[in-house]
Amino acid sequence: MDNRIDNPVMRQEISTDLKLQLLDQIPTPVMAVNRDFEIIYMNQVGAELLGKNRGELIGKHCYNQFHTPHCNNDRCCMRKAMTTGEMVSSRNKIPLSDGDKHIMYYAVPLKDEGGNIVGGLEYIVDISEQVSYEERLQEQSRQMSTPTIKLWDGVLVLPVIGVVDSLRAQLMMESMLNKIVETSAKVILLDIQGVAAVDTAIANHLIKITKATRLMGCECILSGISPAVAQTIIQLGIDMVDSITTKSTLSDGLAEAFRILNMKVQKIT
Amino acid sequence: MSERPGFPTESRTIVISKDTDGGYVISIARMLARKAGFNENDEFLIAAAASELATNIYRYASAGEVAIRIIRDSGNSRAGIELLASDSGPGIENVDLAMQDKYTTKKGSLGSGLPSVKRIMDEFTIYSQIGIGVKIAARKWRQHGQS
Repeated sequence: MDNRIDNPVMRQEISTDLKLQLLDQIPTPVMAVNRDFEIIYMNQVGAELLGKNRGELIGKHCYNQFHTPHCNNDRCCMRKAMTTGEMVSSRNKIPLSDGDKHIMYYAVPLKDEGGNIVGGLEYIVDISEQVSYEERLQEQSRQMSTPTIKLWDGVLVLPVIGVVDSLRAQLMMESMLNKIVETSAKVILLDIQGVAAVDTAIANHLIKITKATRLMGCECILSGISPAVAQTIIQLGIDMVDSITTKSTLSDGLAEAFRILNMKVQKIT
Repeated sequence: MSERPGFPTESRTIVISKDTDGGYVISIARMLARKAGFNENDEFLIAAAASELATNIYRYASAGEVAIRIIRDSGNSRAGIELLASDSGPGIENVDLAMQDKYTTKKGSLGSGLPSVKRIMDEFTIYSQIGIGVKIAARKWRQHGQS
């Protein structure tokens, strides 16, 4: 900002009128409601989003204007903000004539001088681009997420990285079983070092995968059990120890695979 | 639940409507647990608990949401993580049974979901009403000495 400009606006706090004008010029929808969810303020972009005049929106219930899946039920962030007194945000979708608009919205309670919550203020951020990027990323990672690799003659490895959901577990299982047939593998290493979390559903998937490979005559070794994973499995109360061979590192797993195949790695002397 | 006047909290709400939403819950839980100062082991445990709650919503209620937030106790001496799961599903018929290890109403499930959430977290409350839905609140506090 150029300090030489002799403009009183730049020197002192701006008037309330000017603040409202600034709010109007924010290029993202801003809305305020009273406790009954009646609109008491809507900025220009917000009115444009709804295709209405600002004047006709005042006094109307916000949920009758936006019609999102959160409107007029417990999922509404504005309702939560007014109940908890804290900022609440969530993703949501606004149904518009040209399809759903993906948004992130942030709601804060409005308080009077006495600190009583008299309404709420909310602003909306368009996240369509982010959502489509995420979808693309999800699709890409799904395609890359199930590489069963031949590590040695008779030994396969499948590194599990990130989140395992049931679809991915299914793809992993298929990829492993097909590769077992293709390579006549006797041992497969399922390495979960890079897994984002293990819960009972994911543990259940892993148990099923090891059982299926065993049915095909291929021993499955679960490797990459970090201290965090070990602790979680204990807390989950899952008995994996007796039914599955586990190793803390992939190299320990490979050593076990060599042992199963009666092979030995030796230094050349 | 609102005894934290003036303490900064960060909160994320994840809508659960499909299988893959659980993955998003895991990422957010880990991110917020890390921000709250939990060590890696606890971060992993909290993610498991959050994922468990998300899986339950998807499996039994088909839709609902999981809110994850950083909390501070009233003395502002400890930080923690709070997981709030709510759905408008059929509700749990027998909460005491559901809280037992290995109990499940679904075939092929291990049936240790809710009890393990209780084990992982320090505080756990469940409220279920038949035909209305289930609300679960669970908190884990950072132990002293974790930086």
